[in-house]
Amino acid sequence: MSFIFDFLTGDKKLNPLPAKKKDELPNAKLGISFKQWQEQNPNKHKWRNIRWAFLIFINLLFVASFHLSWGVLEGSLSGSRLLGIYLMDPFNSAQELIIGSKTGFISHLTTNFWIGFFVILTFYWLLGGRAFCSWVCPYHFFAEMGERIHDYILKKRKIREKTYDITVKYVFWTGFLIVAFLTQQLVFENLNPVGILSRAMIYGPGLALIWVVLLLAYEIFGIKRFWCRYVCPIGVTYSFVGDLSPMSVKFELDKCGHCRDCQDVCLVPHELWFVKKGAATKEVHFTGGDCTKCGLCIDVCYGNALSFGLKDWKTNRWGYQIATKMLGSQTKNK
Amino acid sequence: MADGTKKISRRQFLKASATAVVSLAVVGSAAYYLRDKSSVKKTGIVRPPGSIKEDDFLYACIKCGLCVQICPVNAIKLADWSSNLSYGTPYIDANIQACDFSCDAIQCAETCPTGAINFKIFKSAGDKAFEELREKFNGNIPANVNAFGFQILAMRKVADMGIAKITDKEMCLAYHGKGYEGPLGQHHALLRPPGSKERIDIAETMVKREVCDLCVVYCPLGNEAIELKETGNGKYLPEVKEGCVGCGVCQMLCPTQPKAIVIEPEEELV
Repeated sequence: MSFIFDFLTGDKKLNPLPAKKKDELPNAKLGISFKQWQEQNPNKHKWRNIRWAFLIFINLLFVASFHLSWGVLEGSLSGSRLLGIYLMDPFNSAQELIIGSKTGFISHLTTNFWIGFFVILTFYWLLGGRAFCSWVCPYHFFAEMGERIHDYILKKRKIREKTYDITVKYVFWTGFLIVAFLTQQLVFENLNPVGILSRAMIYGPGLALIWVVLLLAYEIFGIKRFWCRYVCPIGVTYSFVGDLSPMSVKFELDKCGHCRDCQDVCLVPHELWFVKKGAATKEVHFTGGDCTKCGLCIDVCYGNALSFGLKDWKTNRWGYQIATKMLGSQTKNK
Repeated sequence: MADGTKKISRRQFLKASATAVVSLAVVGSAAYYLRDKSSVKKTGIVRPPGSIKEDDFLYACIKCGLCVQICPVNAIKLADWSSNLSYGTPYIDANIQACDFSCDAIQCAETCPTGAINFKIFKSAGDKAFEELREKFNGNIPANVNAFGFQILAMRKVADMGIAKITDKEMCLAYHGKGYEGPLGQHHALLRPPGSKERIDIAETMVKREVCDLCVVYCPLGNEAIELKETGNGKYLPEVKEGCVGCGVCQMLCPTQPKAIVIEPEEELV
């Protein structure tokens, strides 16, 4: 499985650039000490506040659309209709397609299903794949809170964080598809905290919430972000499109002071591998498919080395290259 | 050193993968085991009108709840763990609120994004009814004929949810020649009586029948589905006919406790 991982983080394979000398650091250019430089640029919470507001707004819009009959965003996060346009959960759709190809149901699927499937993939391709996780997913919101409690507990007990191989999520992704194929049921949907939470908010709570509470408890007292990092196949599906996305978090080496505070706040720290001193292989890096575009690193960065940015078509992955070639030579002429 | 870390990470990956495979196997076999146990065939409730057969329904339904949202009488509910059905799938419990077809165009089927509730059968039935009507009038339907009404009736007839069954005729009031006087229903629920344009709240509507025939009078399918038959000596018994689609209005209105008439899900759904 690791070959997929190597492919997704192709930049890692290049030879690293020489590490910056002390007088090349951003604070040295301003003629102040590193600490002074950090104090000059205090932490902001701009993107976090925008993101939380948006996440709550979207989920409340689901609730209001049903209970107040607004009809703006009907359905739930497994399948919905935004102003008449259907949107389908990509992993549910993938399971359905794989079972449908066995039973022949695939030919009975409605046009709305196909529209919903492709609209959601295109949408998240444009906006960066796992942006769904941190900007829409209600479970992520609770897990983010849980992560803080988890960190606090570890700090108190002075225990070091244990990490596991994240490539196991591809095993889960394939496995859930195989299990769905064999049992002819959307098995994952029974365990999906995103769907359970979304339905609980819209149609009223049920016993299935017990599972979500158990998961959260495990994430707080057991393995950090267990579900999101190592299991959730919805996130993996989005990470596939996200890796080919034209939009991502942009890293500029010359503005970086290598304090690595961004990695501390990052929900998927392995995506910020290039901030380590002497690790960057290019002057400009972009985060990969696992990045949820949450913006926490952008808020924390003292030198504004991190920002939301568009990938350069020449140097980045082929999904964007194909797209830009299809769109014509406009980008080339710049 | 480099080789050592690689070995550890490979071992770690294999360990994590083994855990993943084992847990997936457990989850998969649990789902396989619960599959028939949680099938609608074994419970006294039905799927929404036009649902494809249960085996396919279990994976075709994406559990989004759009059918729940569109239903004007709130008949459709999503199954929870407690309801002994496949989690998240929609069902209609006729004891609480039956499907009275008052949305006219079977909107739950129309809104279903995957086709688990199949709108195609309703559309072809409606189109066929319209064509037959046109042939009847040689191509020109007069303005005073309600073509839409014909289509709606044809669409209702293909909504195979289940079939009504008399559980115990001793329970039936008509079998003892008794009448019924009181509210149409014991709890709040919506119903559009045949021929009416307004929905009524059954708990707030008072009715009086010489011989109890609520299941016959309020049946949305009319005489083709259910009729009151005399069994002699002023005794009657409703007879369920071929035309019954299992909407459950009779079950919802039956004043006896337990209900003398209930819906049973059909073995072979569309």
